[in-house]
Amino acid sequence: MLKVEGITKYYGDFLAVDHLSFEVKPGEIFGLLGVNGAGKTTTFRMIMGLLEPSDGRITLNGKPIDYSVTDEIGFLTEERSLLTKLTVREQCIYYGTLKGMNKELIETRLKELLERFEIPEYIDKPIKQLSKGNQQKVQFITAIINEPKLLILDEPFSGLDPFNVELFKQEIKRMSEAGSMIIFSSHRMEHVELFCKKLVIMLHGKPVIEGYLQDIKEQFRKKNIFLKADIDIDLLKKIDGVVSIEERADEYEIKIRDNEVVDQVFSVVAKKGKHVTKFVVEEPSLNEIFVAKVGEEYDK
Amino acid sequence: MTNNEKKPNKFWFLVGMSLKRKIKTKWFLLANILIFAAIACALNIDHLIEAFGGDFNEKETIYVIDQTDMNTYEIFEQQLQLTNTTLQTEDQSKVLEESRAETEEQVESDYIVEEFTEGLEKAEELAEEDDKVYVIVFEEDEENIIKTTLISKDYLGTTDSQVINQAINSTKMAVAIANSNIPVSELEKIYSEAEVERVILSDDKTPQAEGTSMIMSTVFPVVILPFFMLTLFLVQMIGAEVNDEKTTRGMEIIISNVSPKQHFFSKMIAGNAFILIQGALLIIYAILGVVIRVLLGGGNPLGGMGNSFGGVLDALTVSGILDKLIYIIPLTLILMIVTFVAYSLLAGILASMTTNIEDFQQLQTPIMIISLVGYYLAILANVFGGSIFIKILGFVPLISAILAPSLLVIGQFGIFEVVIAIILVIITNFLLIHYGLRIYKVGILNYSSEGLWKKMLKALRGK
Repeated sequence: MLKVEGITKYYGDFLAVDHLSFEVKPGEIFGLLGVNGAGKTTTFRMIMGLLEPSDGRITLNGKPIDYSVTDEIGFLTEERSLLTKLTVREQCIYYGTLKGMNKELIETRLKELLERFEIPEYIDKPIKQLSKGNQQKVQFITAIINEPKLLILDEPFSGLDPFNVELFKQEIKRMSEAGSMIIFSSHRMEHVELFCKKLVIMLHGKPVIEGYLQDIKEQFRKKNIFLKADIDIDLLKKIDGVVSIEERADEYEIKIRDNEVVDQVFSVVAKKGKHVTKFVVEEPSLNEIFVAKVGEEYDK
Repeated sequence: MTNNEKKPNKFWFLVGMSLKRKIKTKWFLLANILIFAAIACALNIDHLIEAFGGDFNEKETIYVIDQTDMNTYEIFEQQLQLTNTTLQTEDQSKVLEESRAETEEQVESDYIVEEFTEGLEKAEELAEEDDKVYVIVFEEDEENIIKTTLISKDYLGTTDSQVINQAINSTKMAVAIANSNIPVSELEKIYSEAEVERVILSDDKTPQAEGTSMIMSTVFPVVILPFFMLTLFLVQMIGAEVNDEKTTRGMEIIISNVSPKQHFFSKMIAGNAFILIQGALLIIYAILGVVIRVLLGGGNPLGGMGNSFGGVLDALTVSGILDKLIYIIPLTLILMIVTFVAYSLLAGILASMTTNIEDFQQLQTPIMIISLVGYYLAILANVFGGSIFIKILGFVPLISAILAPSLLVIGQFGIFEVVIAIILVIITNFLLIHYGLRIYKVGILNYSSEGLWKKMLKALRGK
């Protein structure tokens, strides 16, 4: 288990991370979210042992993270961390060996992963000759070649088309099912929502939302009602607790203050509405929660 | 990943990878082909010039019309031969006499001198037809003993002009002495060279070594010229690699698996291994260049340059300096190797501070200038013999690699001083490792030049 306990990091007088704590258990995918400059990269660097926390501690399976355990960690950086003059094979042997793997094992794993990512023909191509998406695949392969127990993915879908995003998703799920702990960072909330059961949203180095996604959604009182019916919208707007109504192509999205407003809206729809074909109450999306919460804190 | 497999040694893997990234490139191959071509051409430059042809090798013909009754033609012929020989062997004027005498015997005259009796008009015709034909007319003159007319189709070259004019002046002097009725025995004394007995009071110094040290002060800087080239390769290799890893963020992956210390030393060892390989290749290229010379020169490795090189080698052998090479070469090599280490450590530290290769190139300029200063001082060391300033600089790390061996060769440094210079470089290396590593650890993960010096000073203080 990865345990992050009250870590704080100062750069001079600047507080980059402020008392951040979380745990990631084997098989869990944990989301570390935040706007640019929130402290995500600094947190990743501290987990990787590249930076010493000013305070707090990080342990992997009870051991502090140092060079004795880094062979069990995989790291995919947000920027390309490939040496582009090398070929795919050379690059994977380079990073694989630094993860303590011998050449034969790297070659075996590499062939398997290249097949899985559908680029076996690029094995001896210089990385600089590959497209951005294929470079991202190679970078992902270098991060998982050692079958890490802890995998850190900083913006893994950057530069990928939807088809390749699917390939990555499958691989991340496969690794999670195999017991890897995965920390995931992305600006694409739908991806985070899809993978992560637990998450923390950071702002100015501080966690502003943290916990299980389901709990976070439940705690977030605002809900959405999706309605398909012929009805005078002004009647709904007059209900106390209706925040906004947005007209979509063939339906309305009604944002309400909390669950208690649902009955009032339903009552009006039942009485005044005609041809009602859809009345669905949904949890807010993570994106909404993110924008609402981070926006609140951002303005402070 | 299974744990029972034998794990690779990450440090030596990094060293090997670094070396491979430099050597296994088409640019390394191309650069070495060009270096080999340049060395082979330089060692065979005379053959190369001859291969392209030209009239530089043709002998000049001098027709002498002697209208005096004083055997001026015979005297001129002797003086011309003497002057020509002296100029050709000028480089070896400080070489031992026996060696010089042998050399003079081997020198072939550049001129064909003939007495011309078919009249001035015919001689002028010959000169007009061929610009390698000159005509000299000697006439008696009451005031100046002889009057000389020199006829040529074109301007005379600098050397021809110097040789012919000097020979004419010597001829005039010889004719004048002959006319003054001085006995032959006295004439021989006048013409014989003044004898100088050289006495050096220091026990450990010999007159033979005096001349040799003068030659070596010129030869040695040329011998150590490759040191520069290798230093340049070394600094650039380390700078480019560290920056490549930094700019691609590959450094984060690398440093999350091996410590900055291991990374630092791997770069240093790989860089030094690379230049040792490159240095060995330079020696091989030089040997191959000599082999080509032997093949072109019909078995004589010195070929057309034999007189100059042969004289120098003879002088070195006789003076006993070759015996001193037993300690000069090892001391120079040790000093160079520890200095290469110093340069590589400095290059690694500076590269870690920069965020791109352009910044590093600017930062490496002062290092190269320091090295260049050492080289010029090595050349000037003999000119300013005994200069305390140059001797002090001979101990300064980075400069000492070139300067101290030069001072050793010309006798201004002894073994003790060179050993001190080596110790000083080793101490510098220790300090560079101790304090530089602190900068390196912070620098390699720093991607911003904002507040750079503040960050580095803080790192230096170990905070």
